[in-house]
Amino acid sequence: MSSPSAPPPSGFIWATRGRNWGFRFLRRGGLDDPLGTYEEAFTDVADRPEVWHRTGDMVALRFSDPLQRQDAAGRVIPHDFVLFGSWAAGLNSLEEGQKRMWLEVADEFASVWDQEPPLRTGQPH
Amino acid sequence: MRSCYCRSAYRGPSNDHAGLGTRSEPHPACQGPRYGSRMKFNRSVDQHIAVFGESGSGKTVLVSSFYGATQEPDFLSSSLFDVTADDTGQGHRLHKNYLGMRDSARRPDTTRFSSTPYAFTVKLRDTGAKVSKQESFDALRLVWHDYPGEWFEQDVSGPEEAERRIATFRSLLSSDVALLLVDGQRMLDNAGEEERYLRSLLASYRTGLLKLKGDLLEGGKPLVKFPRIWIIALSKADLLPEGDVFAFRDLIIEKASDDLTALRDVLAGFVRSPEALSAGEDFVMLSSAKFEPNRIQVAERIGVDLILPLAAMLPFERHIKWVDRMHMPAKVAAELLDGLGPLAVALLGRTGKFGRVISLLAPLGFKGDELNAAMRTAVKATSDQLRSMNADALAKRDYQSATLSRFRLDLEAGEEKRVLLRSKR
Repeated sequence: MSSPSAPPPSGFIWATRGRNWGFRFLRRGGLDDPLGTYEEAFTDVADRPEVWHRTGDMVALRFSDPLQRQDAAGRVIPHDFVLFGSWAAGLNSLEEGQKRMWLEVADEFASVWDQEPPLRTGQPH
Repeated sequence: MRSCYCRSAYRGPSNDHAGLGTRSEPHPACQGPRYGSRMKFNRSVDQHIAVFGESGSGKTVLVSSFYGATQEPDFLSSSLFDVTADDTGQGHRLHKNYLGMRDSARRPDTTRFSSTPYAFTVKLRDTGAKVSKQESFDALRLVWHDYPGEWFEQDVSGPEEAERRIATFRSLLSSDVALLLVDGQRMLDNAGEEERYLRSLLASYRTGLLKLKGDLLEGGKPLVKFPRIWIIALSKADLLPEGDVFAFRDLIIEKASDDLTALRDVLAGFVRSPEALSAGEDFVMLSSAKFEPNRIQVAERIGVDLILPLAAMLPFERHIKWVDRMHMPAKVAAELLDGLGPLAVALLGRTGKFGRVISLLAPLGFKGDELNAAMRTAVKATSDQLRSMNADALAKRDYQSATLSRFRLDLEAGEEKRVLLRSKR
């Protein structure tokens, strides 16, 4: 959970992993430390492979890589999102969420997923 | 080796005993006398094992395979002991992982942003035999530390994850035994050029530890409680079926001996009395299951059944030898021997001539001299003596002695099968 003085989250949080780099945040929802908010969003659904879960104005979304890309251990890579504001508005299903978010991140993920660690990305969003 | 000297030692994760999420010190209320004092044994003996490995190297699969196998009907009908997860929810998750592999060829999910210490109680079966007052402890507990592999390899996401990482590594580094996983898949990917992977892996362990050193050593003081046995373990060994543990050791020495030495130097910088440290001198082959394209054969394990004997008996064998052979501060010697007396007495059990002494002394409590004698006698037992001890213990339904002598025989069998190679030091 972000501290009371921290700016409210905006946009979305995106956590995923690559073939050889481990789970990390590729988008941070405008938060310096998005971990608390991310975990709060997934609290009740942590172990599920697919998630669409709304808590107030926040939506937790999880789906497997649509191209079935796998990590080095042979597991299909998951994509976890926490959506805020306009990103969360009007989303009523996993399918809608996956369609909307994959359109947004597919190219970015294609460019980084098989990089060798340490992963080099742009500034945190 | 940890010991809590009270009946409440295996209450579960809500109790501090479980060491879950915090530095795993014995419960303050239970910090009783150490091996040198007079005491009656009525407690659990804890072994902590730290499994280090990169992301995807098979850490979570390994703990799931270990636990899942102990829930199979064959194990339950033949074993002298039960293995239960202290936290039922954790146990169900591990079992679910195992069943997912066994029945649906589904690998456990990736570990995200947090570590999990799994506490297992190894409880001897109640067969209706008369419980002797001389039983030296009630249960063995294995605390297995699992963590996200990327915590060695990449920066954390922010202060919260940074705090978790430090707390986890403090916990990992207060274990008794550490396994350093070498990923069999990566070895296969780099066949012929294994040094590329091995050197990078060992450097990653080394630099990861150095980066955290300032946070892990309070006031820069070296640690007394520290894993003094670092076993190099080949995970996914099923992918390299033609090799045995000697081939694995030779490859490590041939391709990465300088890096192994550098890692050993870093580890030595963490610990008080670094002469009592064996890092990269023991080797084991591990495979949690045989992975095929659409099938995971969980019954086809390699070395997983050695983990409990390794955690329980390797510090027992090694620490007593070190204390006998090396000059070290009393505090270090006491730490090394902590909890080993009860194991020695249990191993010797009611068998042979030592059993008669134990029978006489048990109602009065044990003193340091008896424990010392028990430890030295137990650690020197030869294979034939262990076999005889085991048979005798089984005949007398002394399941503590039978289980512990079986653990030691299992380690010997692991060596005969060339799955395990123990340091001769």
